[in-house]
Amino acid sequence: MSEELPELVKHPTTRQLVQYAGASGDFYEIHYDQEFARGTGLPGVILHGLLKTAWLAQLVTDWCGPEARLKTLDVTYRGLDFPGRPYRCRGSVKSRGNGTAELEIWGEDPDGSRTTIGTAMVEGLR
Amino acid sequence: MEAGHIRRFCEAIGDPNPRWRQEAPPTFLVALGTETPEIPEVLEYGKGWLNGGDRFEYLEPVRAGDVITSRTVLKDVYEKQGSSGSLLFLVFDTEYTNQHGRPAARIRGTRIRR
Repeated sequence: MSEELPELVKHPTTRQLVQYAGASGDFYEIHYDQEFARGTGLPGVILHGLLKTAWLAQLVTDWCGPEARLKTLDVTYRGLDFPGRPYRCRGSVKSRGNGTAELEIWGEDPDGSRTTIGTAMVEGLR
Repeated sequence: MEAGHIRRFCEAIGDPNPRWRQEAPPTFLVALGTETPEIPEVLEYGKGWLNGGDRFEYLEPVRAGDVITSRTVLKDVYEKQGSSGSLLFLVFDTEYTNQHGRPAARIRGTRIRR
């Protein structure tokens, strides 16, 4: 049994997408304008991929503690996610030694699909 | 790197970790500027953008008060057939250098026109 990270569940709203657009400077309309999003062939506004990555980074830094440092964070977006649907961030330890760890991380939609998958390397673990 | 900008970013992503009162959270660097330049020929392809993936490499912590310079290059462009038509992939490499002239982070972003 590999070690699992305590999961982090997010409840994104359209309001949060607007807030993230402002803070990140990514004002692409598919994240807050329903009509615009549908005009590009999407079912509605979708979460920013990088917002999901911010949550996966939070999953890792909550787990590793303040002394450890994130060395790499590598994610692939495989599916769309929507406001109003909870987003579960999960991870497991693939290998660990000498204060470093290699993690597998992923984000799941309510159907259990891994819509974002990735890896992270951490060093300075105690 | 402005403390107020970092604070607003942390509020937006919902990460209350006190570590980010000084140090920038891991994905903050993307907020320093647009990483997807407007390339007219690219915008004529398909109806919109999707994000394919992001790879962050951290070399030095980035903190409020640091002066960061970024440089982005378009590393690769390729086309793929998706289930609902063709897709154009653009791979951007950005390097972030701090005020000491040392690379602090690198990001490889894959953006898709569909």
